[in-house]
Order: sequence, then structure tokens, then C-alpha cells
Amino acid sequence: MTTLDTPLDASPSRAASRPRAAGPGARSALHWIAVHSLALALTLMFLLPLVFIALTAVMSDQQALTSQLWPREWHWENFAHVFTRSPMLSYFGNSLLYSGLATVGMLLSSVPAAYALARLRWRGRNLAFFAVVAAMLLPPQVVAVPLYLLWAQLGLTGTLWPLVVPYLLGDFFSIFLLRQFFLTIPEDYADAARVDGCSELQVLWRVILPMARPGIAAAALFCFLYTWNDYFGPLLYAGERPESWTLSVALASFRGLHHVEWNLTMAATVLVMLPAVVLFLFAQKSFVKGITFTGVKG
Amino acid sequence: MGSTRRLALAAVAAGLFAAACTTGGGGGTGAAPAPRDDEQVTVTVWSNFADHELRALNKTLDGFHAKHPNITIRSEGSQDDDKITQSIRGGTAPDVAISFSTDLLGQYCSSGAWQDLRPYLDRDKVDLGQIPQAVRDYTEYRGTRCAMPLLADVYGLYYNKEMFAKAGITSPPRTLSELTEVAKRLTVFNPDGSIQVAGFVPTINFYNHRPQMLAPHWNAQWQKPDGGSAMASDPGWKEMFTWLKELTDFYGKDRLASFTAAAGQQYSADNAFQQGRVAMMLDGEYRTAFIAQQTPNLAYGTAPFPVADSRQELYGGGYTTGTIIGIPRGAKNPGAAWELVKYLTTDTDALVELSNGLRNIPTTKAALDSPKLQADDNFRTFMRIFSSPRLATSPSAPNGASYVKFTEDFASRWLGGEVPNLDEGLAALAKQIDDNAALGGK
Amino acid sequence: MSSTMTTTVDRAPAPADPGPPVPRRRRRRRLVALGFLAPAVLGFGLFFAYPLVATVFFSFTRSDGLNPPEWVGPRNYVHLVTSDPVAHTAAANTLWLVVVLTVLRVVFALGVASVLARIRRGAGFFRTVFYLPALAPPVAATLAFVFLFNPGTGPVNAGLRAIGIDSPPGWFTDPAWAKPSLTLLMLWCSGELTIIILAALLDVPTELYEAAALDGAGAWSRFRHVTLPSIAPVLLFGVVNSVILALQFFTQAVVGGSVASGGAEMAGHSKNLGWPGNSTLTFPAWLYQQGFRYFNMGYAAAMCTVLFLVSFACTVVLIRRLRSAAGTGEAR
Repeated sequence: MTTLDTPLDASPSRAASRPRAAGPGARSALHWIAVHSLALALTLMFLLPLVFIALTAVMSDQQALTSQLWPREWHWENFAHVFTRSPMLSYFGNSLLYSGLATVGMLLSSVPAAYALARLRWRGRNLAFFAVVAAMLLPPQVVAVPLYLLWAQLGLTGTLWPLVVPYLLGDFFSIFLLRQFFLTIPEDYADAARVDGCSELQVLWRVILPMARPGIAAAALFCFLYTWNDYFGPLLYAGERPESWTLSVALASFRGLHHVEWNLTMAATVLVMLPAVVLFLFAQKSFVKGITFTGVKG
Repeated sequence: MGSTRRLALAAVAAGLFAAACTTGGGGGTGAAPAPRDDEQVTVTVWSNFADHELRALNKTLDGFHAKHPNITIRSEGSQDDDKITQSIRGGTAPDVAISFSTDLLGQYCSSGAWQDLRPYLDRDKVDLGQIPQAVRDYTEYRGTRCAMPLLADVYGLYYNKEMFAKAGITSPPRTLSELTEVAKRLTVFNPDGSIQVAGFVPTINFYNHRPQMLAPHWNAQWQKPDGGSAMASDPGWKEMFTWLKELTDFYGKDRLASFTAAAGQQYSADNAFQQGRVAMMLDGEYRTAFIAQQTPNLAYGTAPFPVADSRQELYGGGYTTGTIIGIPRGAKNPGAAWELVKYLTTDTDALVELSNGLRNIPTTKAALDSPKLQADDNFRTFMRIFSSPRLATSPSAPNGASYVKFTEDFASRWLGGEVPNLDEGLAALAKQIDDNAALGGK
Repeated sequence: MSSTMTTTVDRAPAPADPGPPVPRRRRRRRLVALGFLAPAVLGFGLFFAYPLVATVFFSFTRSDGLNPPEWVGPRNYVHLVTSDPVAHTAAANTLWLVVVLTVLRVVFALGVASVLARIRRGAGFFRTVFYLPALAPPVAATLAFVFLFNPGTGPVNAGLRAIGIDSPPGWFTDPAWAKPSLTLLMLWCSGELTIIILAALLDVPTELYEAAALDGAGAWSRFRHVTLPSIAPVLLFGVVNSVILALQFFTQAVVGGSVASGGAEMAGHSKNLGWPGNSTLTFPAWLYQQGFRYFNMGYAAAMCTVLFLVSFACTVVLIRRLRSAAGTGEAR
């Protein structure tokens, strides 16, 4: 079971059963039915557009974007075309490199920063927090002009570096998110560790990290998937060298002078989404660890 | 403003522009010599082509490489205008850039972002007379020629032959009053009053019913001789908007809105003209290729678009624009780049091959006359419009196509009945265009 | 903005602070904090302060971004306020999104997360389904929505007609419905926020619920007095995140307008920008158009500066307000 490796010493009861599991009887049966019908209705709404994307992916070029939503003929070879048209595996590698390095870099640089903003006491902390918020507010499209000049001067355009380096130097969105998660952890645990003589680094490592694992997992996933789908950045900085293209840039390459080949674009969309879905299936276990326990106990 | 502050700002500016200014490359004046035959160089070409269109371009590029084995070509597709502009700013521009639209040409020419080709044209004695005047117009800005045309689009009338025959109409309309009459005759309303078949949709931005494509048929000019907006001063505009309004009122704006909302996508087989839901439309020559591929059984004809009744001499002309190609500032091998640009835009066989591959109009007279050019009757209509002395285009401006956007906004409001007085509305529009033009480059 | 500037200065030279001697522990704490923050401080300077200073400088110039800028004083700001009706429409659209999108997105994500938190059997399946839309690239997602909501041929209106609604809305093609349609699209792909709130919900210490249950608190009371205060910091993130999303709303608006108008250009190729009738033209979209398509870089920088100042003011007020309302957790 994946949850057993989680150090739970600091908070033995945090992951225990949910209160919603309590209250047996007819009311809870009704409740169960209500919750599940709502979930099913939402499921249908959520799936419909995705079904549209999947169906368009197997249509002919002519039928895509017509009002017929059901494929006349099933063009499964569209998926193969996506691969034969372009070196998808190389793009896949670049996407993995960008998203992987960015996520690891984000964690290394942003977790300590978020901790310093949430739980260390120092003068100017509030101002620093507002600075982080401010940094999230600049529209990325305009900031791109001075930044592109900077990277061009360093001779690094056409590579993945301009995309990865900002994450090594603290992603402000993640810092904000992580800080908010750290704030939900009662401070008593950290204070207890300090009394025991732990340094701040040890407090972060031994107390905060285990307890904030769901939040950190969410931030990492958030970061990975944002970079995975990022189109503006890779096109701007890496677009001029196909060797550096990511999958999202490749998505736009089924486009011509007068129209877009939507069937292939959608087929590629499905292929781009697949690894992210697989990742999500695995990652969700680490930020919803409580649920497993509920299942066992309830 | 204190002098210290000014100094500080100057320092910032200097820092910001250090990159842009130190990367002159082979920019500026004079023509860089072509590489010697034994000199190995690589030329980078950026375009926004993809897939089969990129392959068509690359095939022609291979033809160039066969003639100049010492020049290796690296062709990168999917590079849009924003990307090209950023690379010029950053000093990482390609040797040759291809842009699908002329929107940014005014800026490219006036700022030197794309190099002046005049010295090359003079040195190699290239005869620009082989290219139609309107095409020469849309590839230069106020006398600076920083681009060459790489195939053109031409706009004309598409009409449904079956509907014409059923209604006993034997030839396409030649004047706008005839167009109105035919449009009314061919329109079919449903019992509930909604439109089943529209003769002609007068809604601005319905498919290619855009102001710049309609304007030549009233000879409406965009600019006064002093460069200011001619919206209020050229009577053609008032006539055009009045004509559009009359037809809009015939249908009813709400019915038109429902009709266009449900019309199929422009470049899908659901296109309303291809589905027989509109009898006539204004569109480019490339539609012939879409029809051949998507709805080959459609019986349709093409003709020059009808003209204002008072300006019958305009008949036979139309609107043209096209893909442009140039050498950006910072190109590493401008000499070799020019050889390639010259080949792609003046070599007859190269142009014919590209035209056959991309289904656009080749831009020189020799290529138009070439027996190797594949063209059916419908495509030939556009070749004839292209050769007409009445061929027109829209002017390049240093601030892109902002004047078109403002005109489109105005047209929607006018046709929606939100502008009480046309003259005052046009005057306000002219001011809006001029105000915006004062903001940016020179 | 000046406060953020002071902050950087405040933090950076700490080790060489020439001021009066501070107690050893306080200085030590500050050194530790600085150590933890060091990479972020560098990133702040490079990726925020530098571009911001550049943008503010450009906003006082006439510049095309290709040639050296020319100082024009506050002219760009004057034009923005007095003679650009399109910018005013765009600002109103963005404001609409900030209010409606933020409220609905946070409430919706909280609602879906609450449903998810109650499901045990098949929980993984439901979580995946609700998160999937957030994985769809924005262009593809927008395209799917425009087609499903097509007033004539889309299944959504077919369904509405089937249940007796005779004249369903025109969705993306009706100026009055275009922004609500975009809002629906954004709710559909708000899975990220849902997951973050879910993680916070599942993290609420159980003892608190048990104590509340012992006190005889009902479901609403438990939610109001236990759940809400516990997840308040994460909800605050959700609100600020949604406000920023609304303020920077760009791709879906541009693609939605373009595709619904019948064309199918990709993002940034915006021939029908704001269609229908500028109802989907957002402030960032107009800013981008002015800067990159019309080469009015100085003017775009002025719009950018205004957008930044307004967003910053909004966010600071929001954080202060929500903090005092939520009370716990956020205290120093």
C-alpha cells in the first residue's frame, strides 16, 4: 500500500477516518444516493467535450468541424499519422525534460521559500508575501519582450534553458500555493520540534514536509501539468529549433496557410493528454492518502 | 523632469536595446554579395507552413539547392509572425522570413526590421514590371521595398449555378444593384421567418466578407494623400455601408445573426456556400481547392465581384493580398538569402511549382502564362482578375491592420442599427484610426 | 508597487546590515530566512523586477519595440483614458470576468471537491473524470465547447429544445451570452482548483470534527465552523488564483471568438478579435494586439502597467479582507 511509507509520527490521527463516514442508517443511504447521482450527472457533463475531442480525432479531415459529431468512417490511422508526420518521440522527450526539470527545480527552490514565508518569523515577511503575489500579476505576454532580449543576449534561445531556469529560481505561483498549505498545519508541531532542538531545516524536513505532503504533491502536479501544456513559452523560446520543440508546440504544426487539420490536431491532443492522465492516476494517491484509510476503517 | 531621472531612464533604455542594436548582422545599406560557388553557406528559412504545404515549399527549396549546391537550406515551419518579430528583437532572426499576411509589412519596412531589398534589385537588375502594380503596392511601404510577393490571393464572386439556373438567371451579376436583386430572388425564408437560403450575406466578417476585400468594388480608399484616414472623406465608404445596410434590413439583422451563427465553419465541408445555404459569396481563389476536395459535386461558377453602379469601369478587378518573403535584420548570410528570395519570387518554374502545390496565384506574368500551371476555368477567373488593371489592395500601415479592426467594429455597430448618423459615425471612425496611428512607430 | 521594491531591498543586503546591532537571534532568524529565500530573491529580480521596470519605462515612450524608444511623457496614459473606446470595452469585459468567474469558480470547485470528498467507492475514477478537462490544451477545449454549444447544430441546444426550451441561447455567437459561455468553459476545466481544495479538505484534522460532533453541531455548522476556517488559506489561494486567471484571461477568449465566428485560426491569429461585437475582447487580448500586432509597444506597456497596478490593488485588498474574515491560520 502506497500510504504506509508516509511518516505519520507527527500526527497519528490526521489521516484517520472522515467524519462523513459516521452516521449509519437510512439517512446515510439517502445521502449516499444523493452524492452519487450528483457525481454521475457531473461526470456526464465533464466527459461530453472530451468525447467530442476523441471523436474528432478519428474523423476524416473533411468531416472535422462539420456539424456531424459522429465519425462517418473511423480513421484510426490519424494517430499513426501524428507519429509519421513529425518526430513525436523527440518532442515527447523535450516535454518530459522541460516538465520534469521544472517540477524538481520548483520544489527545490519554492518549498523552502514558502516555508520561510509561512512559518519563519522575520521582519518584512508580510511585505515579501505581497511581493510574491505581485510577481504573479504581471501578464506573461508583455514580460516576454524584455525577457526574450535577456535570453537572446545570453545566446540561449532555441534551447530549453529559458523555460527551466525560472523554475529553479522560485515559481511564485507555487510559493503562494505551498505557503497557503503550510499555513493549514498547526504551528504546535513545529514548535515542539524546535523545543527538541531541531534546526529550521530539520523542522521543515521532518515535520512540515510529511504533514504537507498532499499540498506539495498537488503543487508538483500542478507545475508538471502546467509546463506540459504550456504553449506560449516553448514556442517563443524553443520554437526556432525543432530539436527543442515540445509536444504542445508540435500540436500547432498541423496548421496551414488557409486552414487547420483539426482531426490530426485532436489526435495529437489525445496523445498529449494520455501521459498526463497516467501521471495523474499515480499522483493522486499521494495527495488523497486519507481516502485509503477511510476505506479501511469505514 | 530632472536630469538625473532622464539619465537613469537613458541607462535603462540603453540596457534594453543593447541586444537589438549590437546584432546588426548584414543589415542596413548596400547589397551583400552572393556567396562564391566554392563557399559553403547555410540559409535558414522560417515560415508558418506545416505538413503538405511545408513539403511543397521544401520541394521548391530543393530545386534551388540543386542549382546552388553550395547553399544548404534549413527550412523551419510553424514560425508565426510574433515569433519572427521576437527573433528580430533578440538578434536571432533567420536569413529568410515568410509571413502569411501583409499586416506587419508597414512596420517591417519602416523600422528596418526587414532589410531594404532595393540595392539587390538594382544590382541584379530585377524587372519589377513583371509583377502587377497592386502586388507591388502590398509588398512595399512608402517607397521602401522590404519584401517580395510569394504567391497571391485574389478575391472574387462564387455563385451557385444550380440556384441560378432554377431561377432562370443566366449570368452572374455585374453591378451591386444586380447583386441585390439576384440575392433577394434567391433568398428562401422558412415558414417561421428564419432564413433557409441566403442570396448573399451582407454581414461584415461573415467568412471573407471583410471591409478590405469589399472596398475595391466601390473604389473606396483607406488613406488620404496625407496619410490620414479617408473614412469620412471618400464617398465610396458611405455608399458601401449604405448598400450593406439595405441588404441587412431586407433580411432583418436578428435573422441574419441566427443564420450566420448556425453556418458551418469557413474551412470545413460545412461551409454555407458549399452546402448550398448561400447562393453567392466573396472569397479567395483557394476556395476552389477546398470545393474540389470537400464537395466536388457542387455546381458553382466564379466571376469578378460586382461593382458600384456608378463605377462600372471597375468591373473585372478585385482585392488581392498575399504571402510575403523578406530578409530580416540580423540575417547571417544576407547575400545567399537574397539569391533564394530572388529564386522563389521571380523564377517562373519555381513559382509555377509552388502555385500548383499551394493553390495560390503565382505573382509574375510569365508564371501566369506558363503552360505548366494547372488551372481550371474557375481558377482562371482569378488569374484574370489578377491581371486586371483594376486589381486593388489595402495599404500597409506601421501599426498593422488596426484600421481594419476599427472599421469592422464600426460596420457591426452600423449594421446592428447602433449608429444613428452615418456621416458622424464615419468621422468618429476616421478620428479613432488617426488617434491610434499616432501612438506607434513612424 | 513601491512597497514590493522596498521588500527586495529590505531582504537582499541583510548580512551586511550597517544599522544598529540587532539581537543575535533576530539576525540569525533573518539569515535563515534569507537562506531559504535566496533562489527566489534572484528569480524575483530577474523575472519580475527587471521586466516590470522595463515595462514602466516603455509606458512613457513611443516605441515599436524594434527601434530605440522616444520619450513622450504620459501621452499613452492619456490616450488610454480619453480616446480608446475599445480599451474601455475590454476593461469592462475583464472586470465582468473578474467578478463572475472568480465567485463561480471558487464556489464550483469547492462544491465538486465536497462531493468528491464524500465518495469512497470509485473515488479514483470520479477524481480522474473531474480532473481530465484541466488536462486538455486550451485551444482544443475551447474548440470542443464552441461546437457543443453551437446554437443550430450543437447537442447542448438540441437537448435544451428536447426538454421544452424553444429558443435556447446563442451561446458563443450572442454578445450577451458569449462571456457566460466562456465562464462555463472555465468552470469545466477548473479541475486544478478542485484538486487543491480536495487536498485541503482531506487534510482537516479529524479531531476537530469529532469535537464539533460531540457539541451537537449539524452539517452546516460543522462546515461553517470547522471546515471553512481550516481550509481558509487554501480558499484564499483559490480566490487570488481565480482573480489572476480572470485578469489575464486571453487564449480561450481569442480562440472562442475566432472559432465561433466561423473561422478557425489558432490562438494569436485573431482576425475576429472579440467576436461577437467585442463581447469577448479582454484587456490582455487588446493589450497584446496593440503591442504585437499594431506595434504600439509603448501604449501596450502603459496598458500593462495599469493592469498590473489595478490587479495588485485588488489582490492586496482581497487578501487583507479575507484574512480578517477568516481569522485563523493567517495570523502572524
